[in-house]
Amino acid sequence: MNDSLSSNEIRIIKIEPPKGWMSLNLRELWEYHELLYFLIWRDVKVRYKQTILGATWAVLQPILTMVIFSLFFGKLAGIPSDGIPYPIFSYTALVPWQFFANGVNQSSISIVGNADLIKKVYFPRLVIPISAVLAGVIDFVLAFIVLIGLMLFYGIVPTWKIIFMPLFLFLALITALGISLWLSAINAQFRDVRYAVPYLIQAWMFVTPIAYPSSLLNEPWKTIYGINPMAGVIEGFRWALLNANTAPESTIIVSTLVAIITFLGGAIYFRRLEALFADVV
Amino acid sequence: MSDLAIRVDNLSKQYRIGRLQHYQCTFKEMVSAKTKIFCSKAGSLFRGKPNIETKFNDSIWALKNVSFDVKKEEVFGIIGHNGAGKTTLLRILSRITRPTGGHAKIYGKIGSLLDVGTGFHPELTGRENIFLSGSILGMKRIEINHKLDEIVAFSEIDKFIDTPVKHYSIGMFAKLAFSVAAHLEPDILIIDEVLAVGDISFQKKCIERMRNYASSGKTVLFVSHNMETVLSLCKKCILLEKGKLVENGDTVRVVHRYLLKSFLR
Repeated sequence: MNDSLSSNEIRIIKIEPPKGWMSLNLRELWEYHELLYFLIWRDVKVRYKQTILGATWAVLQPILTMVIFSLFFGKLAGIPSDGIPYPIFSYTALVPWQFFANGVNQSSISIVGNADLIKKVYFPRLVIPISAVLAGVIDFVLAFIVLIGLMLFYGIVPTWKIIFMPLFLFLALITALGISLWLSAINAQFRDVRYAVPYLIQAWMFVTPIAYPSSLLNEPWKTIYGINPMAGVIEGFRWALLNANTAPESTIIVSTLVAIITFLGGAIYFRRLEALFADVV
Repeated sequence: MSDLAIRVDNLSKQYRIGRLQHYQCTFKEMVSAKTKIFCSKAGSLFRGKPNIETKFNDSIWALKNVSFDVKKEEVFGIIGHNGAGKTTLLRILSRITRPTGGHAKIYGKIGSLLDVGTGFHPELTGRENIFLSGSILGMKRIEINHKLDEIVAFSEIDKFIDTPVKHYSIGMFAKLAFSVAAHLEPDILIIDEVLAVGDISFQKKCIERMRNYASSGKTVLFVSHNMETVLSLCKKCILLEKGKLVENGDTVRVVHRYLLKSFLR
């Protein structure tokens, strides 16, 4: 029966009332990878339209923050930086942090922001928050180029550990996406998310070792600190790029686990709420 | 069975209208009512569907037990007054929203045009929007590349194709948007009133395109208030009224009944 159908290449789509938990349907998601590409392309193209500085903003944001941090936390407060010059110590953290923060900012409101698409055409809804986070990779690359320049300036030569950097970027991506899947699905129903996210990001920044090193903590607190996945990401970046002598294995392991759980939970939750989107956005 | 394009079986969709009704007198009652609302809202975060029965004082069946079949290579019309449930039906068949009850089966790749310019971004140029909108409507990148010249020619705005669409007039925008849509090639095409764009000559071109489309072995599901277009395009039709299917069959008969009802109203 099925063979005769597939030989005619006819696909049967069943339309039913929503019932309970949905599978992630990664196969279908893959079929729409070109749409994902075009949505990322749109976000990147549009992001700095009608600005004077354009993509310079991607670099300016972490640099300005770095200058402020260096002045107030580095010089005035005298916060230690693991023997690394404070400006590059904080900038190395700010680059993945901005990627995460901007990703969550954009992605958590993405379902409501793309309401006109969701109400008019079918595609796997997961494409929307994923594209919103991935569009930030371009900004990351620009800011990262500046980071390389800073490293040269401070005479820091990266070691073989640099090959691990993409893994930590991926960890930041999974974390941002995991959080965004939860928030964007909730935001579809309750617009409170839009107002809560800026505070969430701000608070999160303080509990992440950006302005200070996590070496201020002793074990077991250092490991427990990994519950914040961004702590693992940032210590990982410093370890991979700046050759910081503290290898943060335990923090990173905990962070990776938490990130994966957040991501999977978010994806499942998103799929469950998805059936509602067109009716509530 | 093999010549079936769409089978709709007892499809129903319930929407809630209005807000929660609560008559609170004292502060204490108000707090408890608010708490109840909050709890039910928080609960719906996880249930994945709003609890219609208990939460809302009023709900409406936008569709109620609608069943019909659409055969392959048919241009099938859906008519009815405003609020009859036509758009809801198209939205369910397009998989944009889910039914409350019943089910439907669709045999083949489906493409839906429920609006003009779905996915267009005002800051992008006409050319860029062809790619964006085409991809959103389900075209592959190779396909868009291949049809790009044809789409631009069809739209009649080739001079402005590299201008951001925010500078377009409404007519230009609609022409470009419909041109992208007109070059979709799903097995089943769902169209909601999008023909009402552009000037008369452009509308004619669009209707011609739909006719050709159907004669090339594709199925079209078509909603319109324009009986002339419906009569000229569709062999079969259904008439919806307040969410219920009241007539199904030969277009002339269905349109006749629709017009009769309009006059009697």
